Amino acid sequence: MENLYKIPQEHTVYLRDVCKTFRTYHFFSIDEETGRRRFVKRKEACAADHITFGIRPGEIMGLLGPNGAGKTTTVKMISGLVLPDRGEVYVDGMNVVKHRKEILSRIGVVLEGTRTSMWPLTPLENLYYYGNLRNVRGKVLKERANQLLDFIGLSEKKDVEVRRLSRGQKQKLAICIALIADPKILLLDEPTTGLDVQSSRSIKDKILELTKEHNRSVLVTTHDMNVAQELCDRIGIINKGKLIACKPTAELLELFSKQIFEVRVDRTPDSSFFDLLPASIRLLEIEQSYEGPVLVLQFPESYEDRSESFYSFIEKCRSHNLQIRSITQKQVNLEYVFLQLTGEKPIQDLANQENGGNVANEGLMK
Amino acid sequence: MRGFLLIMKAEIVRAWIITRRYWFRTLTGLVIGYGMFMILIAGFFYSQPAIEKGLNQLDDPTRATNYILGFIIGLFAFGVIGMFTQGIQEMAQTGVLEQLCMSPYGLVTNFLARSVVASISTIFYSAILVYMVVISVGGRLHFDPVPVVTLLTLSFINLIGFGFMIGGLVLVFKQVGQLIIVVRMVLFGLALFAREELLNQGWIVSLLVHILPITDASICLKYVLVKGQMNASGEFVSVFLHPSFFWLVANCVVWTFIGITLFKVMENWSRKKGTLGTY
Repeated sequence: MENLYKIPQEHTVYLRDVCKTFRTYHFFSIDEETGRRRFVKRKEACAADHITFGIRPGEIMGLLGPNGAGKTTTVKMISGLVLPDRGEVYVDGMNVVKHRKEILSRIGVVLEGTRTSMWPLTPLENLYYYGNLRNVRGKVLKERANQLLDFIGLSEKKDVEVRRLSRGQKQKLAICIALIADPKILLLDEPTTGLDVQSSRSIKDKILELTKEHNRSVLVTTHDMNVAQELCDRIGIINKGKLIACKPTAELLELFSKQIFEVRVDRTPDSSFFDLLPASIRLLEIEQSYEGPVLVLQFPESYEDRSESFYSFIEKCRSHNLQIRSITQKQVNLEYVFLQLTGEKPIQDLANQENGGNVANEGLMK
Repeated sequence: MRGFLLIMKAEIVRAWIITRRYWFRTLTGLVIGYGMFMILIAGFFYSQPAIEKGLNQLDDPTRATNYILGFIIGLFAFGVIGMFTQGIQEMAQTGVLEQLCMSPYGLVTNFLARSVVASISTIFYSAILVYMVVISVGGRLHFDPVPVVTLLTLSFINLIGFGFMIGGLVLVFKQVGQLIIVVRMVLFGLALFAREELLNQGWIVSLLVHILPITDASICLKYVLVKGQMNASGEFVSVFLHPSFFWLVANCVVWTFIGITLFKVMENWSRKKGTLGTY
């Protein structure tokens, strides 16, 4: 019962202040600084840096991040395949390290790939095999295996050797294998990577069904922003081991969309126009389109300041004889948010330097 | 124990399905194995420094049988250790290793069950091969079921302990698996050349024979199957009274303890290092 009082009871999965650094040793490698060969060189890669988040029952949490950000390591730490250096991971209120055996029956994992299954066997034989390994037996196993294949849409292929199945079908089977012990928590590491649109759509639908109808907690790591945006109730963005954002998907998008406006004008204004703009308005970029140039502008966050800035901007346009054709709020997608937060396209960072920093610093954890 | 039996059942079903589904591969494996043994045995004798002497020796069925059995036990050792080295590498590459780790019974139970099933099928096919080759060279095997089954079981336990130790290393340092082919070859050689006469070669050799895995098992099996449990004076002395048998039992206990303990330590370490499912 250790530490139970500290774990938020509404979470089925909870990570608290989890850190993980991988150390590798390279022998006889050339030192980048000195250019000389060294007998042994130690390299460190931080995969988790004080990560804290939780997943509620019936919730799909998405973990986004560039390659090597620490997404898979986080999944592996929840499933007990990797031990954290510090911090604790709880599943159903139990510490993963101390109660590993108990939590294994509560977790199903699909780890990056289609080769979880045994290719010389059929899907049904695979499910029987893994069912036995997970202490599911007899009539229950047979019924559940057939139900799962029906549910995922593989019942017609249940007697075909896995090696003859398509990539999408193999991935569906991997999900069935993860579900064979009827776990409360499903961890999916990039479940739609490399799949065609139809297979990806089908897997997304099944994940939604599994979560909403069966009240499971699901953690999905993905590179695919569309998958995350469509599927996840909450998004965590992880970069270089740090969880830099964790919010409900809609709120995260809202946070980034409300200050950016696209103003379509009749011509590209000269530089004096921008020099005269109030300091609260920042030009992010000028896009060229068939219907004229589009000024992408960032306005202040508070309603009062924003209103004031708008009036001022319109006055400046009038004084420069600049015709405004349309003003629209920029509809940002998750890809935009992701690029902003991970620094791949930090236009907002630059724009906000004088305003005291990135909006991402404010209210991104929830 | 229930978990072990459950996994064993799953493994037997899996092995049976694969054997049945890929029957042509199984059959050709047996035929090729037979051919290979005949060539190996012949080659072994022909490569002796004195070719004529070697040719004469080929006419000695007892000696030939001794080597055939040595080859088979050696191959068995080679296979069991291979399951822990190549097996773990392959499972890590395919992602099966991580799924095994997600089994509530743990990796040790899983590997134990897998190796038992793999060994039973290896022993079954090896027995067919031994008989085919022994009959071909005109030899004779003294099949006494109780000592043979006991010795095979002990040989397996002996190898499993050593296998777990090697397997533990491979869990953390996957690339070591390539180097361990040398260890497997050494085990093969030990099984091939182990014989009672080595015990009279001074205490250092004798101690080495007793400490190393598979040597005592090989000596005992050859004593039963080739010599028919007859000592140098031609008297029947049960293998259970043979000094190598006692060493074999002690060897099993010590190697199994060391192997499983080390495997558990290394499994934990690999989870700390994050190398469990990586290759």
